[in-house]
Amino acid sequence: MSPIIESADVVVIGGGPGGSTTATLLAKRGHRVVLLEKETFPRYQIGESLLPSTVHGIGRMLGVTEELEKAAFTVKRGGSFRWGTNPVPWNFLFAVAPELSGPTSTAYQVERMKFDDILLRNAARTGVDVRENSPVTEVVSDDERVRGVRYTDPDGAEHEIRATFVVDASGNRSRVHQNVGGERLYSDFFQNIALFGYFTGGKRLPAPDSGNILCAAFDEGWIWYIPLSDELTSVGVVIAREHAAKLQGDQEQAMRGFLDRCEIVKDMLADATRVTEGVYGEIRTRKDYSYTNSTFHRPGMVLVGDAACFIDPVFSTGVHLATYAGLLAARSINTVLAGESTEERVFAEFEGRYRREYRVFYEFLSAFYDMQSNEESYFWKARKVTNFNATDLEAFVSLVGGVHSGEQAFTNADQLVGGFRESSGALADAVERTGAMDTETGDKMHHLFGTPVVREVMAEMNNVQVRGVLGEQARELPLLEDGLVPSADGLAWTEAK
Amino acid sequence: MTAPLSLERLRSDVAEVLAEEPGSFADDENLIDLGLDSIRLMSLATRWREAGYEAGYLDLAKEPTVTAWWSLLEGKR
Repeated sequence: MSPIIESADVVVIGGGPGGSTTATLLAKRGHRVVLLEKETFPRYQIGESLLPSTVHGIGRMLGVTEELEKAAFTVKRGGSFRWGTNPVPWNFLFAVAPELSGPTSTAYQVERMKFDDILLRNAARTGVDVRENSPVTEVVSDDERVRGVRYTDPDGAEHEIRATFVVDASGNRSRVHQNVGGERLYSDFFQNIALFGYFTGGKRLPAPDSGNILCAAFDEGWIWYIPLSDELTSVGVVIAREHAAKLQGDQEQAMRGFLDRCEIVKDMLADATRVTEGVYGEIRTRKDYSYTNSTFHRPGMVLVGDAACFIDPVFSTGVHLATYAGLLAARSINTVLAGESTEERVFAEFEGRYRREYRVFYEFLSAFYDMQSNEESYFWKARKVTNFNATDLEAFVSLVGGVHSGEQAFTNADQLVGGFRESSGALADAVERTGAMDTETGDKMHHLFGTPVVREVMAEMNNVQVRGVLGEQARELPLLEDGLVPSADGLAWTEAK
Repeated sequence: MTAPLSLERLRSDVAEVLAEEPGSFADDENLIDLGLDSIRLMSLATRWREAGYEAGYLDLAKEPTVTAWWSLLEGKR
């Protein structure tokens, strides 16, 4: 039987935060957008800790601020890290100083079932044609460009949607991304796996840090401890992939073993019980390998979120990178559909900004892992960038730069290692000066925010937040050389004046 | 918009983002008491960078008064 044929301006594949963000910001410009989601929401997802740029930047642009407030998610003022030389956790807070801590200096810990559902329903309300239980079976293309997709509807009927653009926001396990060409490049160093479950009755850090994520390093890796509500805690162990075989057996016992070997988490969980029923009752595993695709775009198609790239979860970047890419993709597509620039020009901006964001977080990640010196531990030694040889570094460079990287700074291995030594040294130094979370200096982020690597990761997140709060009043300078700037409404690109 | 930064313009930029009348606050008044927050601070830093003054919002956060900012920005042009 031949498929039912329809047309749209844009088809978005995937209803997670990346897909919902892209679709909503396209619909706000009046375009006909169909979003195809293979599951029926709400559904379980991992990646529960958010950053302020998602909540106060993207969230405001999408128009979900009040709904998120009503959902009463745990308010997070930053991350607390048992990491590096200090035996007491130290804070990375979103506000530079307590007196400058305003309503936008926070983020949320979210149950993704609820958060993703809010974003997807909001997309539908904004005018996106949301179709759940509708898996994509094929991307339709010719030599010139991608032309649309085929999918199966809930009754099993085949459909074809012809569209000017296809956005792949279908996540890390889908293969749709292969349709843009190129290859998926994996980091050799951050091939971690995560083993995670849920507990009730876990302790909380003392106020005002009780809503913070706690990340605690131990010999075999590190552990996330996320307070999702007063009762519920999400706990995940991030370890080397070499442990994968071990996890085939008794996962409960394996997880308990890891948790017991991390002192601070063992203490936090002393009176806790693992949830064994319902959606939070399973112990799950996920490959948390850091990767990027060598290209994020081909004519007619663009990758957003885990379909494009993923970075180790220690900085809670999953939803940030996805929603940020959603914003960039929507701006790019809106510009082309308005006939205001060429596809080539706007997607160079898309890919340039997206890769920049990935690179700065990857450098932060490398400096961060470097700080946890633990010479006896296989896990930590293998993740020390300053131990890398020239071949390792070459792989490292192509990962962050993509195949088209021409960045001079990365051509010389010694220079690169020198650069990393410096940034990791500066970070370790700033952590030391900031001091433990229970000290007077531990509330002030001047040292940490002043390090080059942190300044770089904050740059665009700050721009997105300012845009969300100030709207048309926000001013932005080009981020890339000869780059574009956001239009007045923030939904498209325009040439810099 | 990219007019050279004068003390006069600095005062009026600050007044604008704080939604205050220019001249209604003193140059040495702590702007946090007038409602300065990180978002407004960042938008001021961007505005002045646009005019060619490379002061980051962290620098500005250290001492949030018109007087301190003027001496900081003068040195950064």
